[in-house]
Amino acid sequence: MTALTFRLELRRSRVVALWLTVIVLAYGGIIAAMYPILKENSQLLEDYMKILPKELMAAFGMSGTLTDPGVFFSTYIGSFLWPVIAAMGAIILATRPVAADVERGWTDLVLGTPLTRTRSLGAAILAQAIVLALLAVAAAAGVLVVGALVGAEFDAVRFLAASVVFWLFACAIGGVTSFVAALTLSRGVAAGVAAGVLLVMYLMNIVAELQVDLAWLGDIGWSRYLAVTELIDTGAVPWTSVAVFGVVAVAGWVASLVVFRRRDLLP
Amino acid sequence: MAHAIELRGLTRWYGKRRGVLDLDVTVHEGEVFGFLGPNGSGKTTTIRMLMGLIRPSAGTASVWGLDAWRDAPAVHRRLAHLGSDPGYLGEMSASGLLDHLGALRGLPAGAWRSLAERLDLDPGVAVKKLSRGNRQKVGVVQAFMGSEPLLVMDEPSTGLDPLMQREFLALVAEARAAGRTVFLSSHNLTEVERACDRVAIIREGRLVKTATVQALVGDHTRSINLLLERPAPDGTFVLDGVTVLSSTGQDVHLMVRGDVNPLLRRLAELHVRDIAISTPDVEDLFFRYYDGSVAGSEGRSAAAAGAGASAEVLR
Repeated sequence: MTALTFRLELRRSRVVALWLTVIVLAYGGIIAAMYPILKENSQLLEDYMKILPKELMAAFGMSGTLTDPGVFFSTYIGSFLWPVIAAMGAIILATRPVAADVERGWTDLVLGTPLTRTRSLGAAILAQAIVLALLAVAAAAGVLVVGALVGAEFDAVRFLAASVVFWLFACAIGGVTSFVAALTLSRGVAAGVAAGVLLVMYLMNIVAELQVDLAWLGDIGWSRYLAVTELIDTGAVPWTSVAVFGVVAVAGWVASLVVFRRRDLLP
Repeated sequence: MAHAIELRGLTRWYGKRRGVLDLDVTVHEGEVFGFLGPNGSGKTTTIRMLMGLIRPSAGTASVWGLDAWRDAPAVHRRLAHLGSDPGYLGEMSASGLLDHLGALRGLPAGAWRSLAERLDLDPGVAVKKLSRGNRQKVGVVQAFMGSEPLLVMDEPSTGLDPLMQREFLALVAEARAAGRTVFLSSHNLTEVERACDRVAIIREGRLVKTATVQALVGDHTRSINLLLERPAPDGTFVLDGVTVLSSTGQDVHLMVRGDVNPLLRRLAELHVRDIAISTPDVEDLFFRYYDGSVAGSEGRSAAAAGAGASAEVLR
């Protein structure tokens, strides 16, 4: 029964997965195609970057030189594309089984069978994690494939390791969103809360980068932990990021299972 | 032997809003039980508690002796459910959907096929492209395609055309013949009258009456219009349960409650030119319960109960 539900959830996710994967691959490919041009004009770019305030650049994830693969990947994918794609994918997938399906009455049908609530939501969470993993791999793959074609010499293993951090970040969003969806049973509210929290944390990180005395704000937002520059450049695994995102994801999913198992299901 | 369904003091509040209050209902194995009430009376709330989707605020709901909330998955192995407005996944075909829901119930693929043919349902069409009536057919097929001993259905025939409603009633009759128990929530009174052995009437969340359909109809007043050859002698109609509403000599209008045999014996002594007897159907009774005339009194007011029927005859 769990396998059936899992397969159905994967099937239902294919349109979301397809479009987000296409976007991630296309964007990553276009950015990677520009890498040799950036490299050839690195001095010109450095001079241009010096005009911009250092704090502002740091706030938007642009620290170091863009010809450095880690900085390049973090700037164009990690700080910009991936948070948006991860949020979209995680919110759509996480609000579907516990909120959208309750609202539309599908949950009544599947829970009218011997399928337990835990297995039903557990299968959906597993499908969610797999689709997010696919997107995370695509985020690195687009850059890697086109990078190889244009001779960018990116380290495939390190880029794919970075996609693991990306995946955990997306799972953390999915976990928290699942929990809020289980609490509210409203897709709109859960999506709004998740997107709002992500945005507030992003702004907090900008403030933290600009205001030295408020630097601590950065520690409670996701931006600081979604850092893969070191991983790509030196191979140093960001264990804190892995732990933070991993714990938030698992805690969110477990909490959503507990809440979903015990609560009234009112459409 | 456990009852199919047993509700004891079942109560549900939604904050300060009433859901159902203190329901006591027992559904016996093998019977078709009608649960009558208009929108908002608490039928769906009761079914959601039976299905373990919401918890009672007080009291208990048990199915085959198992707690409907705590033991929901075990309960669902022994029942099939059809909601009032099933939330199907529109992008799936009817066949894919029925196969999926069937597989969750342990049924083989295509277990729905003969029923779909019988109800003239095209299984290859995406559910979102089906009309309301055809979507309801999917629900009926889904409910009947297994062999669970209990069927719980909420407004199952809504949207079905008269031919399909007849087919639905036939399916209910076959289920009963096969020894299955059916709990049927409806406001389609004709359907309930035809399909059910017993009926519970719910009003504003409270149970007003539970009785067999026969008793519900039989306990109530019949309206009798007589046209006599000649006026009846004084005292002819002085009998238990008989009320003379009007008499113009040969034309007599009576209300009778309970046993009709003493009156029939008395009529046999008269020269009756014509007679019209009308019995209130469940619909009449239902509306009488709803206009408050019999609410809570278990039909004590015979005069009130008979008013609708007599009006019908006198028109």
